[in-house]
Amino acid sequence: MIFSIWRQRLTRFDRKLVAALALLVLSSFLLPLQQAAGSRLVVSSGDNILFVAPLNQDQQFELSGPLGSTKLQISNGAVRVLSSPCPQKICIGMGKVSRNGELLACVPNRLVIRIEGKSTDRESGYDLLSR
Amino acid sequence: MTCSAVNSAELEQVRRRVFLALFIALAVALHTFEALLPNPLPWFRIGLANILALTALYIYGLRALWIVSLARILVGSLILGTLFSPGFLLSLSGGLLATLLMSLGYRLWQPKIGPVGVSVLGALGHVSGQLLIAWLLIIRHPSIWMLLPFFLLFALISGMVNGLAADLLIKFLLGHPAFLRLRNLAGGNYS
Repeated sequence: MIFSIWRQRLTRFDRKLVAALALLVLSSFLLPLQQAAGSRLVVSSGDNILFVAPLNQDQQFELSGPLGSTKLQISNGAVRVLSSPCPQKICIGMGKVSRNGELLACVPNRLVIRIEGKSTDRESGYDLLSR
Repeated sequence: MTCSAVNSAELEQVRRRVFLALFIALAVALHTFEALLPNPLPWFRIGLANILALTALYIYGLRALWIVSLARILVGSLILGTLFSPGFLLSLSGGLLATLLMSLGYRLWQPKIGPVGVSVLGALGHVSGQLLIAWLLIIRHPSIWMLLPFFLLFALISGMVNGLAADLLIKFLLGHPAFLRLRNLAGGNYS
C-alpha cells in the first residue's frame, strides 16, 4: 500500500527530492561523530565552576555535591562517572564522553561535567595567547 | 441567487477571498487542535496546519501561501495565548523559513514538484528555523545542534504525511465545480 501511494501521489521529481533530502537527513546523524575531541573537562555546580582538568592525563578524582562525593575517572582522553551517591545512577549509565560539547550530568548531586576546547589546543599546550 | 448578473472575474475574486478565509480558518483550527495533542518533546509537531497552506499554494498560488501561513501563525497564537511569547517567536521563525523554502521550491521547480515535495521542504525549513532562533535567543549552546538530526528525521516523515493529505485535498477540491474555471486555467500545470 505504501508503495502504491509512493508511485501515485508523488511526482517523479518529488520522489527524487524526498530521496535526496532523506539522504541529507541521514547524513546529518553523522555530524556529531565528527565533532573534534575535547581538550579539557569543566565541572560545574549551578553557576560555579568547581574543577577543570586536562583530558590527556589519566587520573581519578572525587567531587562533592549536596548528596555526597561523585568519583570521576579520566582515561585515554575520555571521562566517565565511576561512582555516585545519586539514587538512579543515570550519570554512570551515560558512559564515556570525550568530544567537544558533550556532557555528563548528575542532576541529584547538581554536577555538570562538560567537555571543552578543540583538539588543536592539546597539541599546542597553550592556555592563552596574548599579543 | 443573482450570480448571472455579476461579472465572472468579480465572482472569481470573491470566491478566492471566501476560500482563502476558509483555508485560514481551517488552518487555525488544526493549529489549535495540534496544541491539544500530547507531545513527546516540545518541538515535535506534526504541522497539520501546513496542509491548508499547501492547498492554498496549489490552488491560488504563492501569494495565497504567504497569506495563509502568516495569518494562521498570528491568529493561532492569539487563540492559544502564546502571541509575542518566546514560543511564538519560535513558531514565527519556523513558519517564515518554511514558507520561504516552500515558495522557493515551488518557484524553481513549479511544473514538476508536487505537494509532497513542497511539504517536505517546508517541514525541514520549519525545524531548522525554530532551532536557529532557539539557539540565537534562548539556549546559546552549540550542543543544541545535536538535536537537529532527530528533528529533521521527524520533520521528513511528518512532511510526507502532510504532503499526501494536501495532495488528496487539492485533487478533491480541483474536482469540485467551484474550482472548475481554475482547473481549466491550471490544467497544464497541475493535474
